[in-house]
Amino acid sequence: MRLLIALATLVLSVSAAVAQHHSHGKPGSTPEAFTAAPAFAPDGTLWLARPMVDRIVVLRSTDLGKSFSAPVTVTPEPMNLDWGPDARARIAVNPAGGLIVTFGIFQDKNFNGRAFFARSGDGGATFTRPRPITANATSQRFEIAGVDPAGRVFATWLDKRNVAKARAAGKAYAGAALAYAWEDGEAGFGDTSIALDNTCECCRLGLAFAGAGRPAVVFRNIFPGSVRDHGVITFHDPRTPGPVRRVSVDDWKIEACPHHGPSIAIAADGSYHVAWFTDGARRKGLFYARAESADTAFTAPRALSRPDRQPARPYLLANGPDLHLVWKEFDGDKVAVRWQVSHDSGRQWSDPRIVAETADASDHPLLVADKQRAYLSWLTRAEGYRLIPLGDQP
Amino acid sequence: MRVTAFLALLLSLASFAAAAADPLPFGRGSWAKLSEAHAGRPTVIHFWGLTCAPCLVELPHWGRLAAERPDLQLVLVAADPVPQDPQRLADVLTRAGLGKTESWSFTDRFYERLRYEIDPTWAGELPRTVMVDRKGNATILPGVADIARVRAWLDAQRPSRP
Repeated sequence: MRLLIALATLVLSVSAAVAQHHSHGKPGSTPEAFTAAPAFAPDGTLWLARPMVDRIVVLRSTDLGKSFSAPVTVTPEPMNLDWGPDARARIAVNPAGGLIVTFGIFQDKNFNGRAFFARSGDGGATFTRPRPITANATSQRFEIAGVDPAGRVFATWLDKRNVAKARAAGKAYAGAALAYAWEDGEAGFGDTSIALDNTCECCRLGLAFAGAGRPAVVFRNIFPGSVRDHGVITFHDPRTPGPVRRVSVDDWKIEACPHHGPSIAIAADGSYHVAWFTDGARRKGLFYARAESADTAFTAPRALSRPDRQPARPYLLANGPDLHLVWKEFDGDKVAVRWQVSHDSGRQWSDPRIVAETADASDHPLLVADKQRAYLSWLTRAEGYRLIPLGDQP
Repeated sequence: MRVTAFLALLLSLASFAAAAADPLPFGRGSWAKLSEAHAGRPTVIHFWGLTCAPCLVELPHWGRLAAERPDLQLVLVAADPVPQDPQRLADVLTRAGLGKTESWSFTDRFYERLRYEIDPTWAGELPRTVMVDRKGNATILPGVADIARVRAWLDAQRPSRP
């Protein structure tokens, strides 16, 4: 009997070791986010929001990214953070220097998410306990918050509450819904509204402002026939989302998740600028288009690179009279961030210039500006975090 | 006798835990190795991902095709841009009837490089199927594969009799 118990113990402990080995310690056993999102405060401080395995931290730099403060943890307890390739913890700063951090978690193994926010009113020394952006717990992902020109925080995300409703009624529902909420005093966000049903469900959103109370959101939409091309919605006022303006007809018919979201900028003259990735029947690769105003149609798309260089992750920024555009591409050896600048509202652009390279894994390239100039903000595995000033045309 | 049965049960439980072999790690240079190992034999390489919902719906179709066609040389590559837990990948494949099929998974986060080695024009969309004939000619089926096309391709690979 003793022998039997010993043998049984041995067998069970080997099984347990096998199970243990599988869930911990192996490369790739716990997916992790690898991102860094920047924001400049009015006083010129650079803020970064970064996921660190199971927590979100915020770091501060007063020397343009050369050195950073000790990280301040925003999440008091470990959380199952969203590591999706197009998901990102973010930070925004209001005109008073108040900080808002947004991030998503996975609620389960089916990638149902929950969007959270935390605020700091003491210059990032402490943060409020993270709270869900919306009361509905079905699923939210790809949250993004921005501060409108009047200083009010607007948040938008992809929400699956109407999927659950449709399912309960025995109906089909494609994709997710574009949801939004405005900040409501210090308490957090007010009621959630749905701006549009049946958007694509797995790509980042792009956000800009056409004016105070007038957000403009670019997203991958589902057009008839499961065509996943891009649309822009501009709000008429804080509670009235306008119609969907299609950016281009790429005809990307796909019943899948591209994990490639678009980027938008609105210039001082009110013109709209969008960059996006597509693998459509009409065009493949990375493209840019502009529209004269909030109501006019977008111009014919301009290709940014060659499809055999995997061009991806475009980012646009309007900064005073300039428009900046970056993306990444791969030449078989190195990933390069290419940059173009326009001084005439996106009609003419400089030749693409490589502003940074890496030969290993990297985050999406992002753009950020302080009062003086625009910068590339890029996290790479080999080099770490870099803030690279974008010089003017040589 | 009862002791033996008890031990057999325990051993079967233990072997069950280890049954679904982890996917082979797919890193830099793996594509060349994989291609070389299958050179000269018609091979179907199916790229899928744990984070790709249509892929999970499609996998059982491949499981059934593999059971039906012994002439199918199938290789599975999980190409999630963020490397996934090997155990979860193996479990999903086992449930789809693909537990014994040659299987790889991306373990390097430098996915641009892995994709480039496979096909420089592939931007990473999943699912994706590549059918390579004896001479090395590839037929690409982007998106969910039409299994009828795969069957027809397999039929066309049968060596013609003299």
